[in-house]
Amino acid sequence: MNDTFEFKRFALLLKKTIFERPMQLIGLTGLILAAALILYSIVVYTVGWQAAQSISFIWGFVGGGCFLSAAVFGYFNTNASGSAYLTLPASTFEKWLSGIIIAGVLFTGVFLLFYRLVDTTFVSAYHNSLDKNSTDYRKMFDAVAVLPYSNDNNVFRQSMALYVNLAGAMLVGSLYFNRVSAIKVALVYCGVIGIIYFLNMALATVFFNHVDQANPFYNVFIKAGTGVGIIELPSTASKTGELSARFIIPAILWLTAFVRLREKEI
Amino acid sequence: MIQLNNLSFGYPRKKLLYKNLSLNIQPGSVYGLLGKNGAGKSTLLKNMVGTLFPVEGEIIVNGMIPEKRLPSFLRTIYYIAEDVYVPPLTIKRYKDLFAPFYPEFSEENFYKYLEVLEVSVDGKLNKLSFGQQKKFVIAFALACNTKVLLMDEPTNGLDIPSKTQFRKLIAAVMYDDRVIFISTHQIRDLENMIDHVIIVDNGDLLLHASIATIGEKLCFKTVSAIPEGTKVLYEEEMLKGTSVIMENIDGEDSRLNLEQLFNGITENPAMAKEIFSTN
Repeated sequence: MNDTFEFKRFALLLKKTIFERPMQLIGLTGLILAAALILYSIVVYTVGWQAAQSISFIWGFVGGGCFLSAAVFGYFNTNASGSAYLTLPASTFEKWLSGIIIAGVLFTGVFLLFYRLVDTTFVSAYHNSLDKNSTDYRKMFDAVAVLPYSNDNNVFRQSMALYVNLAGAMLVGSLYFNRVSAIKVALVYCGVIGIIYFLNMALATVFFNHVDQANPFYNVFIKAGTGVGIIELPSTASKTGELSARFIIPAILWLTAFVRLREKEI
Repeated sequence: MIQLNNLSFGYPRKKLLYKNLSLNIQPGSVYGLLGKNGAGKSTLLKNMVGTLFPVEGEIIVNGMIPEKRLPSFLRTIYYIAEDVYVPPLTIKRYKDLFAPFYPEFSEENFYKYLEVLEVSVDGKLNKLSFGQQKKFVIAFALACNTKVLLMDEPTNGLDIPSKTQFRKLIAAVMYDDRVIFISTHQIRDLENMIDHVIIVDNGDLLLHASIATIGEKLCFKTVSAIPEGTKVLYEEEMLKGTSVIMENIDGEDSRLNLEQLFNGITENPAMAKEIFSTN
């Protein structure tokens, strides 16, 4: 018997994890999708297309995904459910992998598919509503397009980076905080971001005078009279920042969840 | 089957709950783990199942180390926590999702135990009363047929008929290579059910003996006057005289009173040690 990974056992575990708490995983996913749809519908008519796509995608995918990630390992709010989870005959690796697949693959896949369906429906409806004989037809047609799932698109790229970081933090946090982990992790995350920002600011003031703003890895804004000048940091710094935010920090967070799960006591 | 070697356990920023505890649990017996509230009964069970890790020493269960929580180990042990966790599923759905993890699970026995314990099989588990949920978990745990079954306060929340059914069920599911370990502070619930008694207090193992040995070493009776020169472990004034636990010098047969035994051992551990250390 393989004590690390067995496909049959893993499939049973994944099935059990999804269907054991249908309201928390399936219901929450449904709620997130519905919220994204409602947000899209409201913002598209009140603000505009770009805002609707950005806001509904970021809040639905990143915001909703964070709550779902916090629920994936959310067994530890009682001794009985925590014990039942830890003593279920599956390996720690399988338990971790099922969490990763639910938060990282299944939710992402379902959300992206649903969002594409909603976005395409709205955009097609808009395109079909245009008067083809109008002189502005081409311009108005081209002004609205489906949000591309590509790294060239800033909203998509930044949302993905944000999601892997925040979802990773939520997974780890739910293994450290047994109760209301989503809120506690959000507070810790804000605290860490704040500390990093102000430390970076303090460091920038050591090197420059009249610092207005300092963005870690990217640039420093310097007040010059009534204007503000920007000092761009070397591209290696921004590349390091990008690499850290998109790959290194998320990898550390998602792997920490495995280590923490292995050492979890209740 | 369960071996504790110099086990030390403590929670962070608190003094050690157990220090150098050694214990050897043999298969084929029902063990009663008795202790006051906060004596560390649940902690000991959690160390055995691997949800808490010892600070020092080692625990070996079925030849494996619980701390690693390997599937090959976890499928041989079932732990019922004091509080109950049941997901919002029907009994059938629960069985379909959880039973495949236990290769020795018997569906036939599962439904039989549910019937014996009078658990309603309709509706979702989370809608059942606490007692019904507890009985459901007990039925499922017994049907898993694991070699080690650890139960933390299993009779809490059960009504009197259910406690009787529980005792009968435990007697029925006992076989030679199985260990059932029941922790409780409701001592009377274990009477006529266990064949070994373990008493812990303040992190010390005060007693680990079989019921037969206790019967050989101690005599439980009611007397009008306490005989002189006899080691009396415990005495309690009753309506018809004084209930005593004395050293059994004459090899008398008497009926074990677990509650009095517990009081005697915890109040007079030095004498108990002296009595049980003699051949």
